[in-house]
Amino acid sequence: MQLKRMAIGATLANATCGLLGALPAAPVAAQEVSDWEIDTSILYYGEDNERVKDVSLMTSARRALDEDRSFDLSLTVDSLTGATPSGAVPSSQPQTFTSPSGKDSYVIEPGAPPLDGSFLDTRFALSGNWRQSLGDSMRWSAGLSASHEYDYLHIGVNGRIERDFNQRNSTVYLGAAYGQDDISPVGGTPIGLAPMLEVDNQASKLGDDSKSVVDLLVGATQVLTRRSVMEVAYSYGLSDGYLSDPYKFLSVVDRGTGLPVAGPAGSGLNLYLYESRPDSRTKQSLFAEWRYALDRDSLALNYRIMNDDWDVTSQTIDARYHWNFTPNSYLEPHVRYYTQNAADFYRTVLFNDEALPAFASADHRLADLDSYTAGLKYGRRTAHGEFSVRLEYYHQVSDPSPDASVGDLGNHDLLPPMSAVIAQLGYKFRF
Amino acid sequence: MTSARTISILLASLAIASLCGCASLGVEPWERDLHAREDMQPNEHDAAIDDHIYFSKEASSGGRGFAGGGCGCN
Repeated sequence: MQLKRMAIGATLANATCGLLGALPAAPVAAQEVSDWEIDTSILYYGEDNERVKDVSLMTSARRALDEDRSFDLSLTVDSLTGATPSGAVPSSQPQTFTSPSGKDSYVIEPGAPPLDGSFLDTRFALSGNWRQSLGDSMRWSAGLSASHEYDYLHIGVNGRIERDFNQRNSTVYLGAAYGQDDISPVGGTPIGLAPMLEVDNQASKLGDDSKSVVDLLVGATQVLTRRSVMEVAYSYGLSDGYLSDPYKFLSVVDRGTGLPVAGPAGSGLNLYLYESRPDSRTKQSLFAEWRYALDRDSLALNYRIMNDDWDVTSQTIDARYHWNFTPNSYLEPHVRYYTQNAADFYRTVLFNDEALPAFASADHRLADLDSYTAGLKYGRRTAHGEFSVRLEYYHQVSDPSPDASVGDLGNHDLLPPMSAVIAQLGYKFRF
Repeated sequence: MTSARTISILLASLAIASLCGCASLGVEPWERDLHAREDMQPNEHDAAIDDHIYFSKEASSGGRGFAGGGCGCN
C-alpha cells in the first residue's frame, strides 16, 4: 500500500490561499496529498447551421513534490471543422469569392449567409507551471506556454507572486504574462482594406506577420466569514502588432440598392475589402467573485467589466450552484450572461459613395452582441476518482450597424443568431 | 475613456475598502472547514475550457486570469 502524507498544514493553507486561484502547493485535498492529480476531459462544441465544430481533448496534471513545491502540465488538442462567417453580407444575387489560399473560388447562393467553408484546423497547446512557497506567507509561480496551428504559433511566459496577510484571511497577488504570436495565414497576410482579387492574383497579400501581448494582473482574495470569500482582480492587457483576422473581409454595396458593387477590373468579383484593425489594443478589466458555502451546497457568483481602446465595453455575469444531493454526487446548474457594444470601427458593410475609413471590420464578434449560456453538470465521486458530464447551451445575438439595412439588404438577416451545444465528459483522479 | 476612468475609480474604491476592511474580516484557523471543502475551490480545468470558447466567440477575455492570446481563433 502506498504511503500517503497527511497534510493538515496544506489544508489550512488551501482554505485561504487556494480559494479563487491563489497558489497553494496543491488544491484542497481535505484528507491527503497525492503524488499526482490528473484531470482529463473530452469536449464537443457544435454550432448550428453547419458552422464551427470542435472536438477537444484536454489533460492537466499536477505533481506535488512536497508541501511547498509543485508543478502543473497541461496539454490540449483541438480539432476544428465547419464554416465561419466571412464578414460579407448576403445578397439576392449569387456571390463569388476567392478562397483564402487564392487558388480557387466558391459561390454563395442568393440569400445564403456568406460562410467560409474552408475552416479546418488542428491546434496543439502545451503549458507548464512551477509553484513554490517563499517563506511562510508568500508563494510564487512561473510558467511557459506554447500552442501551434498550421497558420499560428504562440509562445508565452508568465509569472506570479502572492502574499498572505491577516492570519491568511487576506491574500494579495501580482502577475505578469508575455506572449509572442507568429501568424502565417494561408495565401499570405492581406493588406488592410485591399480588395479581394481573382484566383492566382496575390497582389493584395503580403508575407507572415506577428503580434505581442503583455498582461498584468493584480488582485486580492478576502475571507469574509466562515461561509463566504471574495476575490477582486484588475487586469491590464496590451496587444501590439497584427490584430486583424486575415480571413475576414467587408462587402462594399451601393447605398441605394444595397447590392454589391463591381470589384477590380478583370477580377470578375464584386468589391470585397479585407478587414483592417488598429495595430494596438489596450484592455482593462475588473473581475469580482463571491463564493458562499451552505451547510451542504455552495454558490459562486462573478461579474466582470471590460473596456478597451477600441471602444468595446462588456459586462459578464456568471452564476453556479453546486448541489451535493448525496455525499458522492452533485449537480451544478450554471447560467451566464454577456453583453458588449460594438468596436468603434465595426461596420456591417461599407458604402461605395463614402471615403475609406482608416479601420474597418465586419467581424460579428466586434458588433453589438449579447450571449446567454445555460448548463448543467453532473458529477459522481468513486473510490478512484470523479466522473462528470457537462451539457451547456450557448446562444448569441448580434446587431448589425444601424445604417446597414438599405435596399436589398433589408430582405436578409445580416447577422443571424448563433446557437451552440457544449458537451463535456470528464474524469479526474489521484494516484 | 469614460468607462476606463469609471473602472479605475471603482478599482481604487474597492482596494481602499478592502484594505480598511481586512483587519476586521476573516475567521480563525479552526473555522475554515467550509472553505476547505472541494466544491468551494475554483475548477481551473473547466474555467480554462470556458475561457477558450468565449475568447474565440466574443471580444473580451481574461478577468480572473491573464487575457492572453495564444490562439488564431481571435
